[in-house]
Order: sequence, then C-alpha cells, then structure tokens
Amino acid sequence: MKRQIPFALVFIFGFFTIFQYFVPHESSEWVYEFLLDWILIIGIFALALGIWSLWRVSIDKINNRRPNWGYSYVTLAGLFLMIIFGFTAKNGDSWGYYFPFVIAVLLVIIMLIQTIKAKGQSKILYIGLALLFLIISILIGYFDKSWSIHFSTSEGLKNTMFQDFFDYILIPILSTMFSLLAFFIASAAYRAFRARNVLATILLVAALIVMLRFNFYLPGAEYFARTSTWLMNVPNLAANRAIVIGIGLGVVATALKVILGIERGYMGKG
Amino acid sequence: MNLKLIVIFLLMLCLGSFALAETNTVNKDSTAVDSIAPPAPVTMFKAFDTPNDHGHSITLNWQLSADDGAGQNSVLQYQIYRWVPYLMDSLTTLRKAMTTVKEEEIKRGHEKVLKKEMRSLKKEYNAVLKELPSAHKAYPNNGYWKEVGKVPAGTKSYKNTGSKEKESQDYLPDLTDFYYRVDAVTKDSTVRASSKVFGPVQCSGQWFNTGRIPVLVAVILFTFLTIYFVEKAKNGAKLYVRPLSGIEAVDDAIGRATEMGRPILYILGLGSVADIATIASFTILSRVAKQVAEYQTELLVPTYDPLVMAVAQEVVKSAYLDAGRPDDYKEDTVHFVTQSQFAYVAAVNGIMLRELPATNIYMGVFFAESLILAETGALAGSIQIAGTDQIAQIPFFIVACDYTLIGEELYAASAYLGREPLLLGSLKAQDYAKALVIILAIIGLIMSNFGWTQFTDLFKVAN
Amino acid sequence: MGFWGQFGVWLAALLTIGIISFLYKDNFLYKACEAIFVGISAGYWFIVYYWDNLYKKFYLQVTNHDLTSWERIIPWVGFILGVMMLSRLFEKIGWLSRWPLAFIVGATAGLYMMIYFVSNAMAQVASTIIPVFIGDWATIIANFFIVAGTFCGLVYFFFSKEHKGAFGLASRVGIWFLMITFGASFGYTVMSRMSLMIGRLDFLFGTWLGMIK
Repeated sequence: MKRQIPFALVFIFGFFTIFQYFVPHESSEWVYEFLLDWILIIGIFALALGIWSLWRVSIDKINNRRPNWGYSYVTLAGLFLMIIFGFTAKNGDSWGYYFPFVIAVLLVIIMLIQTIKAKGQSKILYIGLALLFLIISILIGYFDKSWSIHFSTSEGLKNTMFQDFFDYILIPILSTMFSLLAFFIASAAYRAFRARNVLATILLVAALIVMLRFNFYLPGAEYFARTSTWLMNVPNLAANRAIVIGIGLGVVATALKVILGIERGYMGKG
Repeated sequence: MNLKLIVIFLLMLCLGSFALAETNTVNKDSTAVDSIAPPAPVTMFKAFDTPNDHGHSITLNWQLSADDGAGQNSVLQYQIYRWVPYLMDSLTTLRKAMTTVKEEEIKRGHEKVLKKEMRSLKKEYNAVLKELPSAHKAYPNNGYWKEVGKVPAGTKSYKNTGSKEKESQDYLPDLTDFYYRVDAVTKDSTVRASSKVFGPVQCSGQWFNTGRIPVLVAVILFTFLTIYFVEKAKNGAKLYVRPLSGIEAVDDAIGRATEMGRPILYILGLGSVADIATIASFTILSRVAKQVAEYQTELLVPTYDPLVMAVAQEVVKSAYLDAGRPDDYKEDTVHFVTQSQFAYVAAVNGIMLRELPATNIYMGVFFAESLILAETGALAGSIQIAGTDQIAQIPFFIVACDYTLIGEELYAASAYLGREPLLLGSLKAQDYAKALVIILAIIGLIMSNFGWTQFTDLFKVAN
Repeated sequence: MGFWGQFGVWLAALLTIGIISFLYKDNFLYKACEAIFVGISAGYWFIVYYWDNLYKKFYLQVTNHDLTSWERIIPWVGFILGVMMLSRLFEKIGWLSRWPLAFIVGATAGLYMMIYFVSNAMAQVASTIIPVFIGDWATIIANFFIVAGTFCGLVYFFFSKEHKGAFGLASRVGIWFLMITFGASFGYTVMSRMSLMIGRLDFLFGTWLGMIK
C-alpha cells in the first residue's frame, strides 16, 4: 500500500502527460496547466522542508561546536532577515520602530537556539528571554502603525530592504562567484595542456585552434579562423547530433522505465 | 587627408539621401495623378477550422489575384477581413472600463467600491460573451467588416489565430459563425478588389493531433522494444554490456575513501526531481550509498533543490537499510543548502576545502557551476567522477575530472550499477533504437539524394 | 550617491574581495561571505517562491470569485499534496510524502519523454537526412563528414555490443569526433568567461575605487 499507490500515481500521471501531448483540445490544456500549478504549489512546501534542513544542520553545528560553527549564526541571521523583510512593508515614509522589531525577532531566534543547547537553570533563563523578546516584538508590531505584516497581498516583495539586500549583497557575491569561472577556465586549460593520451590531445588541439581564431597577429591567423569555423560547423555538428540523439533515447528509455515502474531506485523502500 | 575623405563621403551620403527623398516624392505625386485599374479579386477563397489545434483559429486559403505577379502586376498586398457584430465593440469598451478599475485599485488600494464595480463589469462582460454566437448568426445585420490581418502579394494563405483567454482583446470564440473576405489591394489603397464572402465557418479544438501520428507510432514501437527486451532479460537471457570506465571507478573510489578515512561527496546537480538525469543520478546514489554503508565511510550529499533532497534522503535511507545498517543512517547526510546556483557552489566549495573528500561524484544536470566545482575539487586533490547530459558542460568535466560519463552514458550507468537484468534490458532497446535511427537515416539520405523528401517529412513533427 | 549608497558599494566591494580571496586559500572572509550568501539566498528564494507559487497559483486562485467553482477547488489538491510533503517531518507518516513526489515524477517523466523524443530524437534524425552529393566538392566533403561523424558517434554509444572489428573502429572514430566537439566548445567558452572577470575588476577599480573613469 505504502509503495503501490505512489507507483500507481507515477503511472497514471505519466500516462496522462504522454496522452496530453497528442490531444490539442482546450480541456486537455486546462488539466495540464493545473498539473503544472500543483507542482509549483508542492515546490514551496518542499522548500519549507529544505529550510528546515538548513536550520537543523546549522543548529547541529552550533550546539556541537563543530568547526566554523560561528558562521552558522550568520547564515541563520541572513535567512530570517530575508524572511522577515519579505513579509513586511512600510505604510508611509518612515520605518518607525521597524528595526527594533527586526532585532527583537532575531533575538527570539537566538534565544531559542540557546535553549536547545542549554541545560537546567540556564534553559529556563533562555526560555524566559525568548518570551520577553517575543512579547517586545509583538508589542511593537501591534502599536507601531508605520509598517505592517502581509501574507495575503504581495506588498512584501516591494519592501525596499528586501530589494536592497538583494542588490547590494546577493548580486555582488553572485557575480563574483560567476566571475571565478575566468580563473578556473584558465586553470582547466592548464590541466588540459598536460594531455595524458590521444583523446586528450585531440581535445586540446581542437580547443587551441578555436581559441586562437581571433589572433590576427599570429602567422597563419586566417588558417586558424577558417579551421575553427570548419570545426564548429562540421565535426562539432556531427558529434553534437550523435550526443543529442543518444541523450534523447536515454531520456525516453529512462522515463519509460519510470512510468512503467521498472526503474524504482528513486523511491525509497519500507 | 583621411578625415577629409570621411567628411566628403558623409556629405555625399547626405546629398544622396536628399536626392532619393526628392525622387520619391516626385513618384508619389505622379501616382496620385495616374489612376490604377481595379485588380482582379482572389479566387477559390476558402476558410476552414485550423486542424490539430486547441481551437480559436481559422485558416484561410485562396488563389492569387490575376494581377499579382502577372497581368497588370498591381497587387501589393492582401487584407483579410472578418465580419464582426457591434457587440464585439461593447466587449472592448467593457475591457477598457475593467482596466481603469484595475489601475485605480493599484493607486487606491483594494477598496470595496472598486471591487463591487469590477464585479458588475465582469458580470456584464460574461453576459455579452454569451450573446456572441447569436450576434454572429445575424450576419449581415448589426455588424461591420473588420481588418484582422494583411499579407504581402504572392501569399496564398493566412491563419486568423485569436486568444483563448476570454478577457484578451483578440479573443476568438469557438463554435461561432464567422464570415471572411480577402481584398487584393493596390498601391492606392482605395483601389482594391474584394473576394466573395466565405462563411459561415466555425473553429473548435481537436481531440487528436493527426500531425503527430509518426511520433505516436515511434513511441509505441520504442515502448514495445523496451518491454520485449526487459521481458527477455527477466527470463534469464544473458545480455552483454560493454565496460564503462567511469562506472568501474566508482567502486575503487569508495574503497579509496575508506582507506583514507575521508568522506565521499555526492553532488546531484541543479536539476529538479523531474529531470531524468537527476532520476538516473538517484539510482547511482543508491548504489554508492549502499557501498558506503557497508564500508562505514562518511557520505555528504548537499542539495540544491528541496524536492531532490527529499528523494535523496529516501534513497540513502533505503540503501542503509539494504546494507543492514539502518542505525548508521543520519538524516543530515543529505541536506539542503540553498536554491541559488552560486550560493550553492560557494557552500559546496567550502565543503571541498574543509572536509577534503577523497572522492567527488557529480551526476545529474549541471550548468556554469560545473567548472568551478570540478576545478576546486581537482585543486583539493580529490578523485572525481562526473556524468551529465548537459552537452555544454561535458568538456569542463572531461578536463577537470578523472572519469566522465558522456551524455547517454549517464543513463546507461544507472542500469549498470543497478545490475538488474530489468534495467539492462532497456539498454538493449536503446541500442536497437540507435541502429534503427542509423538505418532510417541511411534510407533517408539515399532518398533525399534522389529528391524524394516525403520520407524526411515523416520526421518533421507538426506543432 | 548618499551615505547608504556609498555603504552599499563598500559592502559589495568587501564581499567581492571576500569571494575572490578564496582563490588564494580558504579564509575567514570567504567563510563569512559564504554564510551570508547561503542564508540570504535561501531566504530570498523562499520569499520569492512564496509569492510566486503559493500566493499567485493558490491563494489568488481559490479566492477569485470570477472563476468557476471547479477552478477554485482544484488548486486545493495541489495544496493538500504540498501538505503531504511536510509529513516527512514525522517518522510514522513520512511515507505520505511519496504521493506528491510520485505525482511530480510521473507527470514530468511523461512530459520530458515526449519533449525529448521529438526534439532530440526525431528532429535530429530529420536534420541528418540531407542530400550529401549535391553542391561543390567542399560541401560534399563537409556533408560526408557530418553524416559519418553522426553515425560513428552513435556507434560509440552502443552499450550492448562489443566494440571490436569494424564496429570498434567506427566507435573509435566516434569518440574522436566527440573529443573535437568538446575541445572546440571549450575553446569557444574561454573568451566569454574572461569577460566575466573583467566585469568584476571593473566594479572594484571603477565603481568602488574610482580608478577607471
């Protein structure tokens, strides 16, 4: 029962989406669009599980004083800051007591983390402090009318703090991470230069020819340009086609095995 | 000297364009004086429901006007008209009113008055929608001809496709009588010839896309092939599979990690749980986890997608159960990091440098991060095995990893590691499909060299 | 630029340096950047998905009285499946979470199966079928290479037949073709990746330090 129903669901919905491909009628599109929406709705619950996992791992690090445990506080602070920002928005021009509120909420969380670890009397102390900060944040939230909490109107997304954190913190780190590729492609090229066998040598030679296609100062530059165009248009096209067809058949076969219940490795037992 | 040349050239360019403009105006004037004889109308004009679609579309066909490319050669374009009842205009007015209310809502917030107004507008709109078929039946009373599109001379068909969204401005209702005509238009737009009116014609959605019959046949064939070989394998037929070095390396790598007392890092990539490459990766993970459990080595599976995390937890848990060590399983072996590509990479890089895994296994869907991960791993001195179906990332894995499964090999690997005859059977089916592809392509090549394109058309799938 | 604008630029610069410093070796600045990055991005995406998925696809649907009652009820199925996901948090009923997973895997497996079948298998076969012996000799040679390369590449991906004899030769030629492709695509990417680093250096020396105007 625990295993049969999931496999039946896989079969039913798998078969439906295949069937749907052949039915252009509006009603089949209608059902199909709902299925896609369901997947998105399930996704947010799954993300909540993910956040729970992140919380657990961080707490485990902090409580057991694993290497670099201090950074877990930073991670959790960032996480909860963004969540608070995402559900709050100011009503007028002033933030009022918004920032004391944010700090109070963060303190509640920190006290809760301490509570998990603490024993005996200090546990009671931390619970007390957590309650105190909770009451403070509730009071601020209740009396301060310059901002409010939103769950059912998408005001939170327009919160300037939310956007600023994205623009000034996430974006620089993200683009720097991305730019590391420049360094790594250089080190990868260096690795490729020490070609270990025939295949690696073929790869290296092709890479060199294509890399040198713009160097008009080199002797025979035009030759490089023409060869690299030929490499891109002929062998590249041919091999790409073979890989694409192979992947296509591999995907179809695997998907078929999944739908027919032959491949069950992805579903746990018990 | 050069500068002078450029200035002179630019001057000439300006002069030239002035001259051109002048000659154009002269031409225009002269045409106004010349009178053009009306062109011949299009013939054999037909309108029908567009086949193999979800409805809301009518296709029109005609034979060119005798003066298009021949005769007086005076036809410049064809304008397509559909007869619309005045009721359609009231829909437009209502839509505009609704947009105004929406804009007010954005400005003033959700006020009860606005909500009420919106509701009554929508009610009215729906009532008008219901009247549309009968209003169309009243042709030619209470309506007018509206241009719905135009095509240049020499074109023989037009598809009048509307939206299926009822509130869209180009909503085209199904099961409604439409009337069409096509005008052959000359340079002087007042000189034109209308075709005979065609109608009534209705559009509707189809229940089967006949353009996709070849796909259906191919899918059924492939399914039978797979089932046949799986059944054959079930009955004990021995199937040969060629060795894949990347797969054999997995066993060695786990042994090495055990000897060194260091963990194994398994990366499932950025794919969602729905990506077939990720599903193939789960099967490989299951095998790796089982061996890891037997050797009592540490396994680290940081994940990017929470659904992938959930499935991976199930897979690893079951593997520990299979290995007879359910108590060694830790919930946090498989953990979530973040659903942001480069933040995930930053975290995994950190793990590579701090935990120094003996082996890194990358299986699944990878994008630009493939190179950062694989290079960091290589710099940290780990043995690396990769497999992905993302063609653009394969070169980076080949360069930075010790073993790489290329494209389809990843799917094959899941069958290899499972070592179940059932899974191997499908490999055989894949090979037969490939052989069939080669044979069909050869037949097609021969045919296309003789100019027979009908065979190739079989592979071109209708949208 | 006001104080907060300047502050933002300095913060961005510090974070940029923190990440780049990783190239030298793991250090506290990188660890801090990593922790900030992971926490904030996890929170960011949680919020974005909440508003995009749960709010738009569920809340706005079920509260929209213009829709038919069916259209208002159906999103609840997705919601219930989502709640079933949360059953993982409890050992005893954790198996319930397999239902939503099964639904997603099944629905998308069918979808991907058809997409790949058409775009990867059939469309590629159609474009392989070209009149080889038409055109000048350079075109004929190129066409021949394309067709032969495709076939040999496919032979390389045969798993259930031993690669020896003529078959082995074709497979070897196939892997050569594959390697040329990977080399070419590697070489092709190098330059575009370099421009990413130039962009970041431009921020550090231009926007932050004002050395490049």
